Formats: sequence, C-alpha cells, structure tokens
Amino acid sequence: MIFAKKTLSISLLAFAAWGACAQAADLKIGALFPMSGPNATYGDIFGTGANLAAEHINADKILKEKLTIQYEDSQALPQQGVIGMNKLVNVTKVPYVLSAFTGVSKAISTTAARTKTVAINGGGVGPDLADLGPYFWNIIPLANFEVKAIIPYLIKERKLKRFVLVYVDDPLGASIRKEMTDTLPKAGGELVEALSVPASSQQFSGIAARVRAAKPDAIYIASYGSQEAQIVKQFRDNGLKQQLVSYSAFSIPEINKLPEAAGALYTTQNVDWNSTDPVTKRFVDDYKKKYNKMPTAYVANYYNAVRLFGLLAQQLEKQGKPVTGENLLAQRIETKTFDLVGGKATFASNGTVISAMQVNEVDGKGGKVVSVVSQ
Amino acid sequence: MLLLQLLINGIQVGALYALIAVGFSLIFGSTRVFHFAHGATFTIAAYVFYYVYSVAHLHWLLAVLGAALAAVVFGVLLDRFVYAPIQRHEGSFFTVFVASLGIGIIVQNLIGMIFGRGFVSVSTPLSRSAELIPGLYVSPLSGIAIVCAIVFFGALQLFLMRTHIGMGMRALSENPELIRVYGLSPRRLSTIVFALGSLLAVPAAILSAASSGLNPAVTHHVMLISLAATIVGGVGSLRGAACAGLLLGLSENLALLYLEPQWSEAVTFIVLFLFILFRPSGFFGRAITS
Repeated sequence: MIFAKKTLSISLLAFAAWGACAQAADLKIGALFPMSGPNATYGDIFGTGANLAAEHINADKILKEKLTIQYEDSQALPQQGVIGMNKLVNVTKVPYVLSAFTGVSKAISTTAARTKTVAINGGGVGPDLADLGPYFWNIIPLANFEVKAIIPYLIKERKLKRFVLVYVDDPLGASIRKEMTDTLPKAGGELVEALSVPASSQQFSGIAARVRAAKPDAIYIASYGSQEAQIVKQFRDNGLKQQLVSYSAFSIPEINKLPEAAGALYTTQNVDWNSTDPVTKRFVDDYKKKYNKMPTAYVANYYNAVRLFGLLAQQLEKQGKPVTGENLLAQRIETKTFDLVGGKATFASNGTVISAMQVNEVDGKGGKVVSVVSQ
Repeated sequence: MLLLQLLINGIQVGALYALIAVGFSLIFGSTRVFHFAHGATFTIAAYVFYYVYSVAHLHWLLAVLGAALAAVVFGVLLDRFVYAPIQRHEGSFFTVFVASLGIGIIVQNLIGMIFGRGFVSVSTPLSRSAELIPGLYVSPLSGIAIVCAIVFFGALQLFLMRTHIGMGMRALSENPELIRVYGLSPRRLSTIVFALGSLLAVPAAILSAASSGLNPAVTHHVMLISLAATIVGGVGSLRGAACAGLLLGLSENLALLYLEPQWSEAVTFIVLFLFILFRPSGFFGRAITS
C-alpha cells in the first residue's frame, strides 16, 4: 500500500514536472483581433500573416522554445480589447501583444505601458497611435501618411478638387477627418462636406443623397470592414458615380470582389510582392501556396510584427536575457533596422515604422498599383 | 429635391422595417413569446437567398422559396423545441427571452462560420437607381419593397379577420382555455403564428440582401428595429407595428435633412423615448401594462 502511494506520488510529481517543462517549452505572445462581429473578417486576415510568421520562426528554430500565439477576441471594440489585454497580460503573462484597430489600440495602450508589455499594431491607422508611449509600436504607416500620400495624387494627377468625407464616428474616423481638413487646403483641394456615421450603421441610401447634394469630385470613405463595403454598394446603387477613395482598410477580399468598388483608389504601404529579397519571396511563395491567393499589406504587417518579435527575442536569448517587454523595447532601440517583408524597416523614435506608400486601384484581382509615393 | 429623395428613401426603408416589425409583433402579440431570435430568422432567410441565388446560381424563385422555407422551419422548430418546453416546465417570460437571445447569438455565429463573417451582397440590376427627374434617384427595389409591404400586410389582415384560424390566433394571447373550448389547439395555433411571423421577415430579408448587403451582425439591427417598432406601435397591434416601422424608417432618413448621419440611429431611440413618455400605449395598441 505504501509502495503504491509512493509510486502514485512520484508519478504525480513527475507528471507535474513534465507539465511545467511542457509549459516552459512554449514562448507565448498574444493577439487581440476581432474574431466575431462585423469586423471579424480582419481578424481572419491578420491571423493568416501572424500564423505564417510563427510557422516560419518555429521551422527555422530561431528561438529555443516553440513560439505560439494566444488569440483573444477584441470584436474591434475597446471594451472587449481591454478585457482581452488584461487576460493576456495578467493571466498568460505574455511580453508582446499584436493589436489592431485604432480604438482598441488606444484602449489597451495604458495597460501595455503600465505592465511594460509591448503592444504592436499592424492594422489601426489613427495618427495618434504614434503617441501612445514607448511600449506601443506601429508596424504600419499611420493615416496621416495615407492621406498625405493620396491627396496630392488625386488633385494633381486626377484633377479632383472637391471632396466629401464619409467617416466612421470613432477615433480612426476623427483622425482622418483632421488630416483631410489640414491636408486638403494646402494641396489645393476643398473638403465640401464631412459626414460621420455610427460604427453599427448599415443603411446609407440617405447619406448618399446628402453626398450627392454636396456635388463632390471624389468621396473619401474612412470606415472599415463590412460597413465600407455596404457604403460602396449603396452609394453606387444610389447613383453616385464619383471617384471613391479610401485607405488601407480597402485591402480586404470583400471590397476587392465587390463589382461596385471597381476603380476605387486606396493607399497602402509600398510592398513589392515580386521582390527577390529572400524574406519577402519566402513570405509571398508560402502564403500563395497555403491560401492560393496573393497576400495583402495587412497580412504582411502581422507577419512582420511576429517576425520582429522572433528577431528581437532571438537576440535577447543569445545574450542570455529574459524575453520581457522591457528587454524587447531596449533591443528594438539598439537594433534599429530589421529585415522584414518589403525590405529593411526602420522605426522612428516614436515606435512607428516609416515606409513609402502606394496608391492602389480596386481591379477585382487584389488591386493594382497606380502610383508610389515616398515619404 | 433632397427632401423628396430622403422621403422616398425613408418610405423604402420604413416598408422593410414595417414587415420585420409586423412579424415580430404578430408572434409577441399572439403567443407572448418575446421572440428576440426574429433577427436570426431574418438573417437565415437572407443568407439562404444569397446562397441559392448568388452562389448556387439557381433561379430567383427557387431562392425565394428556399429562404421562405428556411425561415418558417426555423421559426416553427424554435417554437416546438425551445419555447414550448420552457413554457411547459416553467413558463417564465424572462427564461424564454434569454433562450431567444441565446439562440440569436448562436445563429449569428453559425452563419459566420458557414458563410464567413464578412460582407456579402446579392447582385441584381434591381438595386440600381435610375434618375427619375434631375437629382431624384429611385431603384426598382424601392417600389418592390413598398408593394411587398402592402401586399403582405393586407393578406395578413385578411387572414386574421376572415379565417377561423386567424381569429383563433387573435384570441390566443387573450384566453388559450377558451380556444380549447372551441376545439382549437393553442399549440397548433402557436406553430402557425411562428410560421406566419417568420414568413413576414422573408421579403425584408431578401430585399435587404439585394439593396444594402449582409453580414451576420445584421441580426442585432433587425432586433432593435423590431423591438422599437413593437413598442412605438403598441404591443400587440399589427397596424401599429406597421405604422411604427414606417415612422422609424422615415425618421431615420428625414433626420438627415438637419442632423449629422451619426444621429440617424439615435433618432429611432428618440422616437421610442417620446412614445414611452407621451403615448405609452403606442399608435393603436393596448396599454403596455395590460
């Protein structure tokens, strides 16, 4: 009986030790993506990039441990984002969190700063995301770059002067409105009307009437996800034939395959998908093999965000330092430039990546580049 | 011209809201089941239509029949296998409401898993507006929505007024025992109520799929409208629900004359608030407390 008890105790101890080892064998980072709700489509897209990077990092054995990503559903809502962030930071204790959407990113930034956890955004583009402290990084050029890149192109190349802005009533929309208000007069254009819509709104026929009454040359749409697609469809159905313009949120399949969106222009950071640079080539080849389609800028951003973590953690491990948010930040400042998809990337002192921009046209095949703009 | 345009848009949207609200109000008024999953019925019908017509590329009539069948089957199954057992064992209004809310959320997620969580739309030339007079754009779908609302509401009224089953349905909420005395089965009547109420959501679902497009989250919007229209119209009053749906659609659109679009949804709640404050019995309805 005593022998049996001892055997059981030893087995339990061994099992517990094995469990602890198995836990220690994984290096976890977090991701706060919308996995449900009207913007869940972005969560799916972001996840493909992040997962592919983790697969590559694990296949190359860049880190001593296996890298895994714990996903939490932000629903693209600040409140849900904060709940998810608290779980990731306090329960899972991750050193690095992938963030998305301007409202969510702003909401979680205080937790990131307080707990010295790196939050890296590859999807939100509100310009004030550049001012959220040293632990909040942006691996996507922000909306000020996007607006500044496309407005001169529209005015000089397309001869469009009068603009109507239809923007979602949230921090992203407000920041794009501010950028348009500042940028348009300097570039020789005019913002004749700015109409804000609630994030949950699905009916835009009435707004189309207001837009038509303003007689614009171009309509800039600053929303995201299903709502952007609904705005485009309903505007076209309601007889608006003007040039439609937007930002990187347009680089989603729903917009790409929407017949009413054909010819719309939008900005993204400049990525040469045909580049022979080994990081970019491997990313594009493997993505195409896995998903049977070309990647988009968003996919590249979250691939880069995870790859960046891999590179930083690798350097920390080589130095025998623990992979903490604090050490990751110090290492990023020290390394400065990284080999990522799209070429070498450099971070500005505010933790935001600097990149050339491109103007794309929706063509039903993933978008064609019509202009490249250096920043 | 802007006023006229917004008026026409408001009538079109209001007609769709009216159809949704009448279905919800019929179910609530007759069975006293707060059928929050009515939004899910709408979404199922819309996605079935989208799948049969736009993905399977079958005839639109088959798509309409498929959508109607799916909506009716969903409504009836829900009544038989969710609401009826709860009512048999406990009968609590709140439990039924929570069950309904839960079903709505489950359906929304299932639809997201099956059809994807992004935006889909049914491409049809009927949604394209033509310029009737300079500056006034109207699509054929506007006319179809209005005609559908009139035809369906008229047919429902005739059914309720002129048939034994219809009269039984009207009496169902008042006195189920009396219905038994007259040889009718309250359970069977309840099934018919759910079938009819669910059917009423179908034209609105199809027209919405074609005019504004879909995503699984549309369920919430449909429910908010149903709820607001039922209260504004007066609980149990179908005429009231129809008028309230129209009023909400018109208010949302006409508010754009003076207000920023971000206020258009808030207008629904302002109308609701004003009715609760000054006319709690709604347009033609009974007092809410009854």
